[in-house]
Amino acid sequence: MSQETGVRSWAGIAPAVIWVMWRREVSRYLRDRSQMFGGLSRTILWLVILGFGIGAALREIEGYTYAEYILPGVVTLNVLFASLQCAISLVWDREVGLLRDVLISPSPMLSVALGKLLGGASISVIQGSIPLLFAPIVGLDLTVTSVLGAWGVMFLMGIFMTALGIVIATRLRTFEGFGSISNGVIQPLYFLSGSVFPMRGIIGGVGFLDVPADIRQELRRLGINAFGGGWIVQLPEWLQFLVYINPVSYQLDLMRFVLMNYQQLPLTADLAVTFLVPLAAAAIAAREIKNTLRATTRRRRGRKKPA
Amino acid sequence: MAAEGDTVPDLPAIEAIELRREYGEVVAVDSISFQVRQGEFFAVLGPNGAGKSSLLHMLTTVVEPTGGTARVLGHDIVKDQAEVRRTLGMVFQDSALDERMTARENLNIHAVLYGIGRAEREEAIRHALAWASLEEVGNRLVRTFSGGMKRRLELARALMHRPRVLFLDEPTIGLDPQGRRHLWERIAAIRDEGVTVLMTTHNLTEANACDRVAIVDRGKLIALDTPAGLVATHGGAENATLEDAFIGLTGRDLRDEGASGRDQLLSFAKRGGELTR
Repeated sequence: MSQETGVRSWAGIAPAVIWVMWRREVSRYLRDRSQMFGGLSRTILWLVILGFGIGAALREIEGYTYAEYILPGVVTLNVLFASLQCAISLVWDREVGLLRDVLISPSPMLSVALGKLLGGASISVIQGSIPLLFAPIVGLDLTVTSVLGAWGVMFLMGIFMTALGIVIATRLRTFEGFGSISNGVIQPLYFLSGSVFPMRGIIGGVGFLDVPADIRQELRRLGINAFGGGWIVQLPEWLQFLVYINPVSYQLDLMRFVLMNYQQLPLTADLAVTFLVPLAAAAIAAREIKNTLRATTRRRRGRKKPA
Repeated sequence: MAAEGDTVPDLPAIEAIELRREYGEVVAVDSISFQVRQGEFFAVLGPNGAGKSSLLHMLTTVVEPTGGTARVLGHDIVKDQAEVRRTLGMVFQDSALDERMTARENLNIHAVLYGIGRAEREEAIRHALAWASLEEVGNRLVRTFSGGMKRRLELARALMHRPRVLFLDEPTIGLDPQGRRHLWERIAAIRDEGVTVLMTTHNLTEANACDRVAIVDRGKLIALDTPAGLVATHGGAENATLEDAFIGLTGRDLRDEGASGRDQLLSFAKRGGELTR
């Protein structure tokens, strides 16, 4: 352990700093009920209204109701919003908030960044859990294991998205830019992840959902997801390509696997992307945070003459 | 490692040597050199856009100089950034508080970031709140505070880790006369404790209360003396004031050329529409 800066740290890891920065993020979230309201309203809109609405027309999608099918997607949507919102708060935090005091402190910036990332990931888990509360309504049975698995995936997805958000935030000039980020980043990642439509499969099958659940599970294990009727669908190649290059596709696929035992991409690819991409993104975000204040000063310089 | 200044009383608290900062083609600070003695109360005075904040940002390691160097209690601002940061306290021009957290929580974050141990932390927070006369509202969210309360909290926070050099970037800006006076009393108390204070200001009354004043304009140091010395040398009349000396040195031109047309118009109107060109 070194005490070079007055803060107990090892290789830039100062547990007290990580803890205090994590707690700050979570406290701020818990005091802001609008975020929780946003998570709830998104869930009702996508899962309940869209899920049951489109579900009434599609009937079945790969042997699941449409609401069941998109539940992991709605979890993902909440995680994307929560983590990006946490990261984007950097913009005003460095202009008029606490961050400037943090950045001139002798604390290791790696620990400051880790606190922010872990805070964003924790908030993502809370926000992502809101749709899980609706699982009984859509008829999806959850187990302790499946919920713990989903929390793990949400956490890693939260790290990745918070890190991505930090990289974006360090380049944003104004908080008003968040609207374009919402449309330009969250929605493409969401729609191109297999969240609302499968890459391939049988849609609109008849009768499979009428089979008792235990027999249905047995049939699924045999690879049977439909009895009759329906359409075999496959995305166009260019759209498949976009889904394949989207890291969120693999994270969502893993989430669908732990919640529903259903997946469309190779499990090894899901695991590799879900665990490795957040690590790489976190390293880049930590470096970006270190340069944040310097960048701020450059931007201010660009806006007006120095005082 | 303790600051070398602890054992060398004659070591300048701040020493700028040909300090320079450019942003593209704009020279914000143009090869400035000066020294601030330990325990001195030092003001940097200048019109808008003079380079005061850029100078402060370099001395506090926020930005690196593009030329020259500076030392804070003997520590180089580029090579020994960690040591410099341990030595200094800073109050920013705009609030750097988390308004969605309580005063106590803001202080706790600062205490952790500066390595104040868990055993001493609670006492340090209690002392800081008492010093800022905010004991009663320590658990209130900062967003409910007045401008003066926020400023006192920021000042108390900057002193929590017992810095030997305190940088204040226009600390009384935006405060009403009562708030300004209250804050000024606190700053005077810091001075009595022997902490070196470097303050940027527009306020000539405040500059008058400092030991020495550096006048900066267009990135250059154009005068450095005691307030009385500046008045005697640059005031130009028998009953001259520091304002006369300041105007004599920097001229009467408006210096808010970076502001919008609307802001310039408002600024002009606030001066009573006086013709300043």
